Amino acid sequence: MKTSRSETASASEARVVGGLVRFFTGEGYRVRLEVPNMGQSADVVASRSRWLTFVEAKRHDWRRALRQCQAHQAVADYICVAISLRSVSNALLQEAKDAGYGLIRCDPALQICEWVLQPSRNTKVWPPQRRRLMAAMKAIDYAD
Amino acid sequence: MPIDHWMMFSTFAEQRHFEYPEKGTYQGVVINANMAAYAPAGLAAFLLEKTATATYIIDPLTHAFQHDPEAICNSEGEPKSSIKGLAEAYGEPISTLVGSRPLLPKHFEDRKVLGAFTERCVEFQLDHLRSFMKEADAAKYVDDEIKPPYAVVVPYFFLTETTYADWLPICIDAAKQTCANVGDGGGPKVFTAVVVSQGILLDDSAQEAISDGFSSAALDGYLLWVDDLDEKSASKGELAGLLKLARRLRADGRREVINLHGGYFSILAAGVLGKSALSGVTHAPEFGEFRSVVPVGGGIPIARYYIPSLHTRVRYRDALRMFTAKDSLHSAASFHEGVCDCEKCKEVLANDAANFTLFGESTVKSVRRKHGIARIEFPTTEAKRRCLCHYLQKKRIEYQFAETASDKQLLSDLDSGIQAYQDVAGLEGVAHLQRWKDTLTA
Repeated sequence: MKTSRSETASASEARVVGGLVRFFTGEGYRVRLEVPNMGQSADVVASRSRWLTFVEAKRHDWRRALRQCQAHQAVADYICVAISLRSVSNALLQEAKDAGYGLIRCDPALQICEWVLQPSRNTKVWPPQRRRLMAAMKAIDYAD
Repeated sequence: MPIDHWMMFSTFAEQRHFEYPEKGTYQGVVINANMAAYAPAGLAAFLLEKTATATYIIDPLTHAFQHDPEAICNSEGEPKSSIKGLAEAYGEPISTLVGSRPLLPKHFEDRKVLGAFTERCVEFQLDHLRSFMKEADAAKYVDDEIKPPYAVVVPYFFLTETTYADWLPICIDAAKQTCANVGDGGGPKVFTAVVVSQGILLDDSAQEAISDGFSSAALDGYLLWVDDLDEKSASKGELAGLLKLARRLRADGRREVINLHGGYFSILAAGVLGKSALSGVTHAPEFGEFRSVVPVGGGIPIARYYIPSLHTRVRYRDALRMFTAKDSLHSAASFHEGVCDCEKCKEVLANDAANFTLFGESTVKSVRRKHGIARIEFPTTEAKRRCLCHYLQKKRIEYQFAETASDKQLLSDLDSGIQAYQDVAGLEGVAHLQRWKDTLTA
């Protein structure tokens, strides 16, 4: 049976997300997947204590990931982009640095992830929206 | 000059909004003929009960039959019920073709066929809803005779740069016939609909052919609809083309031109700044400021907030990002001062800026997708209603402002939007205001 390009992409993204779950749980986080946030969905939300880290995972379209991260600024303490490229471009590194986002490189084959850039604390959280998110997240099971 | 404020009927769930913010806000209601064919009793009651002070126009939607039949068929490949009802009312050649083949100019080669079709199409608009209105319970409370539509709309077809030469003569002949039969004074006005592709806006000779062609018929006015023209992303050339086409059709104010799907640019064009290039502008309760001639799927609904200074609707999350960056959500007072002080926003915020979240309130549902179950967020009915009421409040104010303010005030308002939002929306996020200003002052 033939496998379509979108199915291959989806499977590949699923491997990236799988790698991220192991990566964050290994660092002591609890992880939720596909967390709805104001009409879009964060691929991974890792929580430790009261801190929330939102992650947008992409195989290669990092500009789209950066756009998606914008909405998370109202609710997330830390925001990251996870990308499954062999090497990270200087442009991505610079844009992530400017925005204060973390950068995680994932090897989809080995499902291994590593930090390229640690995120800065996001100071743009709007508490009323954050409270709504926290209430909604209670209905979502942990993936780990 | 007053700007006629029309609203498009979409669904019965939205009918209460035709009296919002208050009775008499709208000059009239535009109803699609397929709705009139499908739910005449409901529409008759709606017109009698909800729009007693307003008038109505039935868009005959004749263009629907010229596209790929797939556009008017359901998932089983059958014509949608509402379209089927309309096709039956209009008769030949449509009743034979509907759902299987598109209507072509050659089907009207015999002008007797066009004549009979035009007659039935006009008769449908004059009589179909009125007969149900006469029978409706609410008719007991109407003192006057049941009103005919404000205008009958001649059968019309979608004109593109490549097809207008074929369709235009048919539209003109139908217009002349209707003017001769209906436009004898005392009855409803006679309009035609000029429904064109965006390419026509950039094609001067096509515009000239259309306006000159229709000028030979004794029409009272036009419904104007440019396919999927989002005024926010339209180029200066397209906006200038829209103005030019509207002014040509308007014939120095002798004919009405109502933009069937228009935003704030069209409102400005209809007002002082545009020197009444349009006589009226229509939108729908749920936005409808631009629409594709061939319907496209709706996608997942999302909460959108209308930003008054940008005169545009943005996703709730983008509005929130901009307002927090501008520190407009610091307090309710800062929100009302910096963003919106309409009655709805005051009611929703209730002196607490945190209540702005109510505009983005949502519920999460699990939806089966190709690769498993996905969690999708849907705005709550209440959140949609809040966004909608705020939008309708601001729309009414926009019409009044464009009608009564001076050129200087109107231009200054556009400048204020640019200044207030360029730091948070970027230059591209405010560029439409500059394009509107440049076009209207050229």
